[in-house]
Amino acid sequence: MKNSRFSANPDGLFKQNIVFMSGLVTAPIIVAATSAENALILVLSFFMMSYISILICRFFPRRIAYSIRILLYAIVAALMFIPTIMVTDKLFPAHEADVTLYIELLTVNSLLLAKTETRFYLKPYGEMAVDALIYVGGYAIAAFLVGFVREVLAFGTLFGLRLFDPVMPSAQSPFFGFILVGIFAALCRAVVKRNAASKTARFVDHSEDIQ
Amino acid sequence: MEHIGEVFAKIISLAMMSIFMQNAIFDRAFGANVAIYVSRRDEHVVGFTLGITAMTTAASAASYFFDKTVLPMKYGYLFMPLIYIGIIGVLYVAGLFLLWKFFHATFKKIKKFVHLAIFNCAVIGALFLNSSYGSDIWSYIGYGFGTGIGFFLASFLLNIAHDRLDSEKIPKVFRGYPIMMIYIGVVSLAFNVLVGYTAKF
Repeated sequence: MKNSRFSANPDGLFKQNIVFMSGLVTAPIIVAATSAENALILVLSFFMMSYISILICRFFPRRIAYSIRILLYAIVAALMFIPTIMVTDKLFPAHEADVTLYIELLTVNSLLLAKTETRFYLKPYGEMAVDALIYVGGYAIAAFLVGFVREVLAFGTLFGLRLFDPVMPSAQSPFFGFILVGIFAALCRAVVKRNAASKTARFVDHSEDIQ
Repeated sequence: MEHIGEVFAKIISLAMMSIFMQNAIFDRAFGANVAIYVSRRDEHVVGFTLGITAMTTAASAASYFFDKTVLPMKYGYLFMPLIYIGIIGVLYVAGLFLLWKFFHATFKKIKKFVHLAIFNCAVIGALFLNSSYGSDIWSYIGYGFGTGIGFFLASFLLNIAHDRLDSEKIPKVFRGYPIMMIYIGVVSLAFNVLVGYTAKF
């Protein structure tokens, strides 16, 4: 019997977070994640267009040339756009046009076009499915962090609930999105580096105990 | 038939709009990750700009006909990503074939990177924005061409800052991608001021 056990690698959440660490699929977060609701729409769309496309595209034979496979992946994502936009229109009927534009752009996102070839499709199907889901989780963390901060600063609300008067209306602009993503990326690097250093220190202590 | 000067003026005005007012990177963040990647090497800035500009210009011209026929239909908007990917795909395969047939050495050299220049937000984003800003085929071509030049401008501005932003003077956790994003943010703010952006208080 085949051993189907595998250990889930949580790297995609922080250590290799697709937005903060790899700098991929940043455009929707920088421009469109201006509120928690927009972040939720982006995460739902990203899940449907990227994750489901990754699961489907795995079945394309590897003998098809890489240059053509990439095109086929984008076509599958473009087909997934149809149910995605129907679901988001149904759940969030009043969402902004700008968000729709960035959902459309997810047809060429790098999780599907690049990470599949360098990471996901090198693993068995089940392990790949979990790993890709963790990456989507990492994207959700990034989208919500940016969405929460910008909504609170720009509108003084959170999920539409009024907290206080807006303190920084320009927080909804793309330039603030760039700066905020840059700051979160640096924080993420600092946390990952600190964790790695403390793990190394613990390993050294443990080795000395054994000796 | 339109006067040639009028056509030229349309192309230039839409190109200027997409370079400065609607810059792909600074205003829309289209392909920001590609621009950061490209900015590390001088030859990549030129090569990617050529690829992106050729694709945005040709694909914009082709997308005009679909925007006028499919988009006005009731559910036409659902199929636009598929149509745009189809247009880009046909041009991409045709371009690869021509390179393979007539410039084999160049094909071998660029085949690992060419998909990065073609399948990115800057190219497909230009096609989506064209449907909002373009009115006739000349304005579509102008906007598509301007998107490519706007990408060049952004990559060039990142390229000239790259060495300084990667220096020892920058704290280690900010070095590389984080400081690049902050730098793009500052330049984006400057572009916003240039076109008269004001925050609503």
